[in-house]
Amino acid sequence: MFFAKILNYIRLAIAYVRLNWLSHIEYRNAFYIEAAGMFLNNVIWLVFWVYFFKAFPTVPTWTSSDVITLWAISAAGWGIAFVIFGNCRFLANIISTGQLDAWMLYPRHLLSHLILGKMKPSAFGDMVFGFAMYLFFVRPDFPHLALFCILTVSVAILFTGFSIVAGSLSFFLGNAESLALHLEFAMICFCTYPAPIFEGRIRWLLYTVLPALFVSYYPIEALRNLSIEQALYAFAGSLAFASIAVYVFYFGLKRYESGNLTVMRG
Amino acid sequence: MKYSHTIFRKYFALAFISARSNFAYFAEVLSRQLFLAVILYILLRLWQQTYSHCGLQQMAGLSLPQMLWYLTATEAIILSSSPISTIMDEEIRSGSLAMQLIRPTPYPLYRLALYLGERALRLLANFFIGSIICFVLVREIPVSVVGILALAMALPLAIILDFLGNFLVGLAAFWLENTSGILFIYSRLTMVLGGMLIPLDLLPAPYSNLAKSLPFASMVYGPARQFVHPCNFELLQFIVLQISWIFVFSIIVWQVYSLALKRVASNGG
Repeated sequence: MFFAKILNYIRLAIAYVRLNWLSHIEYRNAFYIEAAGMFLNNVIWLVFWVYFFKAFPTVPTWTSSDVITLWAISAAGWGIAFVIFGNCRFLANIISTGQLDAWMLYPRHLLSHLILGKMKPSAFGDMVFGFAMYLFFVRPDFPHLALFCILTVSVAILFTGFSIVAGSLSFFLGNAESLALHLEFAMICFCTYPAPIFEGRIRWLLYTVLPALFVSYYPIEALRNLSIEQALYAFAGSLAFASIAVYVFYFGLKRYESGNLTVMRG
Repeated sequence: MKYSHTIFRKYFALAFISARSNFAYFAEVLSRQLFLAVILYILLRLWQQTYSHCGLQQMAGLSLPQMLWYLTATEAIILSSSPISTIMDEEIRSGSLAMQLIRPTPYPLYRLALYLGERALRLLANFFIGSIICFVLVREIPVSVVGILALAMALPLAIILDFLGNFLVGLAAFWLENTSGILFIYSRLTMVLGGMLIPLDLLPAPYSNLAKSLPFASMVYGPARQFVHPCNFELLQFIVLQISWIFVFSIIVWQVYSLALKRVASNGG
C-alpha cells in the first residue's frame, strides 16, 4: 500500500516535470539563456573560490577537490530540488496572495502536489553544473560517483524542506516573500563555505535553524572517506528537516484564510 | 537657468518618490539586513581563519578589522543594487514600455532618477545596519572622517556606472526573450571583479592591475578601499577612471538605446 502510494506519486512527479519542461521549452531561447547564465555564474564563483583556497590556506585540511565537491553537491542538490519541486520557491507568494485555494480543490495531498507546480529554468543550469564539475574536475571512481549521486538526493530533500519552511512563514507573518528569499540566500551561503570555518555555538544554528552542515559537512566527509555512516547522518538530517517542514506547513495551513481568488491553471 | 532648475526638480521628485515607495516595504529592507548580518558573519569567520593560518597582521595593507569594514562597505554597495534590468525586461516584453516612452522625460533619465532614489535609501540602510553589525563583530572602528568623505565622493559615480551596466543588460530584452542569464553573469562579475569578497590587491599582480582598471572595480572596490584606506592620489585616480567608464558606457547605452527604439512597435490601445 505504502509503495503503491510512492509509485503513484513518482508517476505524478514525472508527469509534472514533463509538463513543466514542455511549457518552458515553448520559449526555448529564454530557457537556455537562463540555464546557461546560471551555469556560467556558478563557474565564475567556483574559479574564484578554488583560487582563494589555493592562495590562502584558510582551511589547511581542504584541497581544491573538496571545494569543487562542495560546490558540485550544493548546486546539483539545489538543481534537482527546484527542477522537480520548483513551486517551493513561490510558496510565500502563493500563500500571501490567496492562491492556495486553487490547489486545495485537487484530490491530492496539498503540499506534495503543490510543490510540483513549477520548474525553475536556472535550476537546470545548477544541476548540470554540479554533475559536470564533479565528473570533469574531481574525476571520481565508480563508488564515489554513486555516493555523490545518492547524496545529491539528500541535499535536494534538505533544500526542498528548507524552502517549504521559509515559504510557510507567510502563514504567520503575512507577506514573507522577501524574508523567505533572503533566508534561502543565507542558507545557500552557509552551504557553499567549508564547514570547518564555523566553530562553537554557531554550529548548533547550522544543525537546526539553517541546517547547512547537512550539505557542507556530512556529505563532504562521506565522500572524502567513502563513509556510509556519514552519508546516513546526512540523510537523517535532511529527512528530519523535511518532516519538520511538512509539520510547519500544515500547522500554518490552519491559519490560512481563503482569498476568494479566481485562478485558472492551464 | 530656470529651465534647468525645473528639470532638476522633476528628477529629484522622481528619486524622492522612488525612495519613499521603497521605504513602504520596510519588511523587505529588514530582511535584507538579516542577510547582510549572515554574510558579514561568514566573511568574518573566513578572514579570521585566513589571517590566523597565514600568520599575518596585515593583508593588502589592511588589518583584520579594516578588512571587515572593507567587506561591510562592499556588501552594503552590492546588496543595495536595484533590479532595474528585471523591471525593464518585464516592461519591454509586456509592451508596457510604450507607456513609459510617452512620458515627458527621456526613458533612461527617468529610470536613472528612480534608480538613484531607491539605491540611496538602500545604501543608507545597509551602511547603517552593516556598521552596527561590523562593530559588534570586531569591536573597532578603523575608519576616519577622511575615509567617509572619500566614500561619499566615490559612491555617486559608482552608482551611476552600475546603473548604466544594468540598463544595458535590461536593453538586451529588445533582442532576447529573457535577460536573467545575462544578469546572473553581470552581477557575478561585479561581485568577483569588483572585489566584493577579496580586495583586488590580493590577486596576482597582472590580474590585480587588470581587474582594477575594469569598470567593476570602479563600482565596488574603489569606494570601499577609499573608505578604509583613504589616499588622495588613489581617490583622484579612481574618480578619473569612473568618469572615463561613465563616458564610455553612456555612449554605448545611447547607441544601443537608439537601435532598440527602432524595434518598438506601438499599435495604440
